[in-house]
Amino acid sequence: MENKEREKMYACWLCSFPDIGSRQLHRLSEVCGGPEGVYLADRKKWREVLSEAQAERLKEYTGKWSLEEKYYEMLEEGIALVTFGEEGYPKRLRDIPDAPYCVFVRGRLPSEELPAVAVIGARECSEYGRYVAGELGAALGKLGAVVVSGMAKGIDGISQTAALEAGGFSLGVLGSGVDICYPAQNRRLYDQLAEKGALVSTYPSGTPARPHNFPPRNRIVSGMADAVVVVEARIKSGTLITVDMALEQGREVYVVPGRVTDRLSDGCNRLIRQGAGVFLNPESLFEEILQMGENKKKNIIKHKNVHKTSPEQKKEKAVPEHLSEELAQVYGVLDFSPKTLDEIGQALGGRYKEKQIISFVMQLCMEELALQISPGHFCLRG
Amino acid sequence: MYSTVFSGALQGVSAYLVSVEVDIANGLPAFLMVGSLGMEVKESRERVTVALKNVGLNMPPRRVTVNLSPADRRKEGTAFDLPIAVGILESMGMIPRGAADGILFLGELGLNGELKKARGVLPIVQAAAAGGIGQCIVPGVNAREAAVVPGMRVWEAGNILDILHFLLADPGERESMLSSVSVDTGALFMRAGDRENGGRPDFGEVTGQESARRAAEIAAAGFHNLLMVGPPGAGKSMIAKRIPGILPPLTLEESLEVTSVVSVAGLMGEGEALVTERPFRSPHHTISQAALIGGSIVPRPGMISLAHRGVLFLDELPEFQRIALDALRQPLEDRSVHISRVGGNVTYPSDFMLVCAMNPCPCGFYPDKNRCRCSRTQIGKYMGKVSGPILDRIDLCVELQSVEYASLRNGTKGESSADIRRRVEQARQIQKDRFQGTRYRFNGDIEASAIECYCMLREAEQRCMERLYTSLQLSARAYHRILRVARTIADLDEAEYIGTEHLMEAACYRPSLEYWSQGER
Repeated sequence: MENKEREKMYACWLCSFPDIGSRQLHRLSEVCGGPEGVYLADRKKWREVLSEAQAERLKEYTGKWSLEEKYYEMLEEGIALVTFGEEGYPKRLRDIPDAPYCVFVRGRLPSEELPAVAVIGARECSEYGRYVAGELGAALGKLGAVVVSGMAKGIDGISQTAALEAGGFSLGVLGSGVDICYPAQNRRLYDQLAEKGALVSTYPSGTPARPHNFPPRNRIVSGMADAVVVVEARIKSGTLITVDMALEQGREVYVVPGRVTDRLSDGCNRLIRQGAGVFLNPESLFEEILQMGENKKKNIIKHKNVHKTSPEQKKEKAVPEHLSEELAQVYGVLDFSPKTLDEIGQALGGRYKEKQIISFVMQLCMEELALQISPGHFCLRG
Repeated sequence: MYSTVFSGALQGVSAYLVSVEVDIANGLPAFLMVGSLGMEVKESRERVTVALKNVGLNMPPRRVTVNLSPADRRKEGTAFDLPIAVGILESMGMIPRGAADGILFLGELGLNGELKKARGVLPIVQAAAAGGIGQCIVPGVNAREAAVVPGMRVWEAGNILDILHFLLADPGERESMLSSVSVDTGALFMRAGDRENGGRPDFGEVTGQESARRAAEIAAAGFHNLLMVGPPGAGKSMIAKRIPGILPPLTLEESLEVTSVVSVAGLMGEGEALVTERPFRSPHHTISQAALIGGSIVPRPGMISLAHRGVLFLDELPEFQRIALDALRQPLEDRSVHISRVGGNVTYPSDFMLVCAMNPCPCGFYPDKNRCRCSRTQIGKYMGKVSGPILDRIDLCVELQSVEYASLRNGTKGESSADIRRRVEQARQIQKDRFQGTRYRFNGDIEASAIECYCMLREAEQRCMERLYTSLQLSARAYHRILRVARTIADLDEAEYIGTEHLMEAACYRPSLEYWSQGER
């Protein structure tokens, strides 16, 4: 067996031990001279890094572990392991404080040369968030940037799906083992990521998604990216943990501004006040990231003829063409926050009867321009 | 000596004649009762004995046998007390032979000989009239109810002694013994019409909520089931309570059906002759399946039958027990409910309009993301409590907004119930003409197989419907519902063909679970 392969086999053993922190892993490996060294070392050596209880458990764990079988099992499932010492270890992660000793990967990791942007936000997002996340993900995908996110419900999943659909590359960082799809609703995205993108986790396969796994996961999300874009966040939001991590790691933070009346944008607006960058459109974001990593720039395949479509432009353009005057008016009144029929009627200056307004908005729904989000609320389709 | 007296027993909401046979013979003193009797019928023995004794008529120490025929049908209720007592009196020779012939007796006896309220008087008296009996003696509180039946001479009695004197008297003198009661049903309806304007809650009191008023009107016109969604305090119950008021007034025939159910359930008011107002039943959400559908060991009509020809309002729909809601499916489909119990198989009518209300999510503010913080899972769970098959039977869904203070104060008064009812009646007349000679009565009844025939679309509308079908991702069921409702809206407009605007409005009111699962879109 090749030396490298052997080393990996031992790494698989060491990294699958659940009862050890990343820092201890680093030290243990250092003290014993690599995973194989750890495996062969005696308990006394372990005790230099580990507590008595940990050493006891490691011994017990080692007794049950069959090196080759488990390693090939993992390979068969299409899961690869990259340790800190290896060349293939993501460069961006290497730089962050408390870098993980190893990452499990399903799919293939993107080229380090590509700029990577983390798109994060609320799970229960609004239609506005849905729209921005979708547009942003698709634009980044087209521009050739890697969309990094947590594959969660809401913003995360939407941006990643959009990126993949636009033919781009996306990286999902999981809070469970890479063989587990959490949340289960994102099965389709999970499969696509495994096939066309990559799934990354610091947890060994089989680890279920537990709440305490997610804050460390967030550290990897921001760690794998050059910049972080927050699409929607409430004032108390897990997303803001990721932002803190990103700042600690020296990543740029961009924020999608929202209306001051929207609770789902409160977290974003506060970040802007604290000095975060304001996201205007995907193109300018992309430029700024390119400028940041000056040295990477030359390696990028320049996409010419990039469609310059910011959300505002798109909206203005779509209105008039085939819609009648009245429908265009109604369309103009709608936005991404749900509006009632009454509110739409008032915005139109009370010119129309409720029956007519119903007819107008339903026609817009029929054109797939608007969305009936509840029996009495309408908004633009994101 | 042997005698026979007529009485009646209930079977569902209909009734059949029972002949109470009494025989007094020599032998060891005993009082035997036979004929598939329920507990309370057997207890009648004690009530009759003591009541007779207390009015000074001691039973002879002989062998008394009572048989209620037909003996193979189970009999319930306390209304057999009086006929048994009369039968005994006749067998004892206290009253002349044949004096009780051609008279139906109903009523419970008190221990002092007083006559008390009976259950199901109307259906029993109807059965008696059909069976050729021309007179009946009933307790005073039930007399007006019995008097509704045409061709029946109704005597009201308060005491067993009065009845004894009545039966002892010559036919010519009887009128001075008991008073005969008659009811003018025409006048009764007229008075109900007058009262409706004053007594009932009126739609004029509802400010704003245009969509909900409109949906209620459409639902009433086409007999569609309605679901109202809205935050607490938006006025869901307020609107529901006003729906019976915009339905056309009860006809005499309908009124008799409603009265029968109420009477069988024992819920008639004292001295009430007919139920002339459309029922509105609003059970609490803790109601059991048996109470909602009907049942218990001895079947009794449930809420759905009490709401027959009226409105059944289920507030806080997701809070109802799942089994109770699921049991609504068959009655909603068949417009009647079949109940099988040890006590027998019965069928109760249940032709009601279902009106439901619920909050859009556990906190009540969805889709206002600024106030609602329910997660998808929570909303999904909340909606999951309402079973799909029930939602499938609801044609219209409307959302109510919480009322702002300003509109409460300055709100112009809405249209009155009477105005809305005129339009509803007009639309119903159109439907009546359309469905002449078919088994359908309203657009809400049209089955999927007949949709093509009654809800025909012209070319432009057909195209419009196709686009709606794909863009709104409709199911076949939803498609049919939209067509049915569109037909009603067109009828309200007095339009011969369904137009695109009718389709649009109907589509806007379509009930769909998809609203609450948009996160997974």
